[in-house]
Amino acid sequence: MTKFSVSELFATGQTEILVVLIMVSVMMAVIFLARPAITTGVSGKILAFMGLFALPALCIAGGIAVHTQRSEQTQFCISCHSMEPFGRTLYIDNPMYIPAAHFQNHRVPADMACYTCHADYGLFGPLRDKIRGVGRIYFQYVSTPPNPIQIPGGFKNGQCLHCHAGARSFIENPVHSAIMDTLTSDQVSCVSCHDMIHPVAQLSQLKFWSPGQ
Amino acid sequence: MKISGIGMNRLLRASSLLVIAGLLAELVSILWFHPLSFVLFVFVAAGLTAIGILIFLASLVFVAGPPTDNQG
Repeated sequence: MTKFSVSELFATGQTEILVVLIMVSVMMAVIFLARPAITTGVSGKILAFMGLFALPALCIAGGIAVHTQRSEQTQFCISCHSMEPFGRTLYIDNPMYIPAAHFQNHRVPADMACYTCHADYGLFGPLRDKIRGVGRIYFQYVSTPPNPIQIPGGFKNGQCLHCHAGARSFIENPVHSAIMDTLTSDQVSCVSCHDMIHPVAQLSQLKFWSPGQ
Repeated sequence: MKISGIGMNRLLRASSLLVIAGLLAELVSILWFHPLSFVLFVFVAAGLTAIGILIFLASLVFVAGPPTDNQG
């Protein structure tokens, strides 16, 4: 498991605000637990509405935002034991490996590398991703992760085309332009040619890049 | 047993207790960077808080007493 410091959790400031909001809500709820009779007056009723409805609802909404943002981070994805080798492939010292080249050269945001290439960009994509994510947590802690780990339904070209479609270097490439229709319709997978991806079985034979060295 | 028979104070206490438990679970889920923290948030924190809120709203609908007269 990857360990994180508390300072990393508070990096955005959003988490700090939520923690303060939760503490205020808890304190208000404690008042109503100890003295529910204060709700007989109008001001008590308003306070109860704030403390037992508005603030807790706001805390849940804030929690959804914080957890959604956190679950899109590279460190979160590779915090599952079975995903650690996939995280290591991002540091392979060979630009022929597509994920490593994208990650090391910041062609994708480094802190959201997994999510950027594997997110479902459909209308309810983020929701579907979270549901799939809960299924993977089940595999991690209750069942056994499949070996090898594969993307359910296969890798969709839309995940590459989300950025590459329309890019000059992509559309002017004669190989791409010759099969553009088959690429956009998923008849030919991008990874059928660009197949140097996550070589988790050969990690011991590869050199790795260490940032800052 | 009807909700109206339980009494406002008991419902408020139950609601407060659930909201406190849910929010404390949310606090733990936020400070714990772990794949299970998402599960803790969705299934425990959000669940308990939502039930607490619903009990509070139910108490307003089913148990709230008649309005007091504003006679001078």
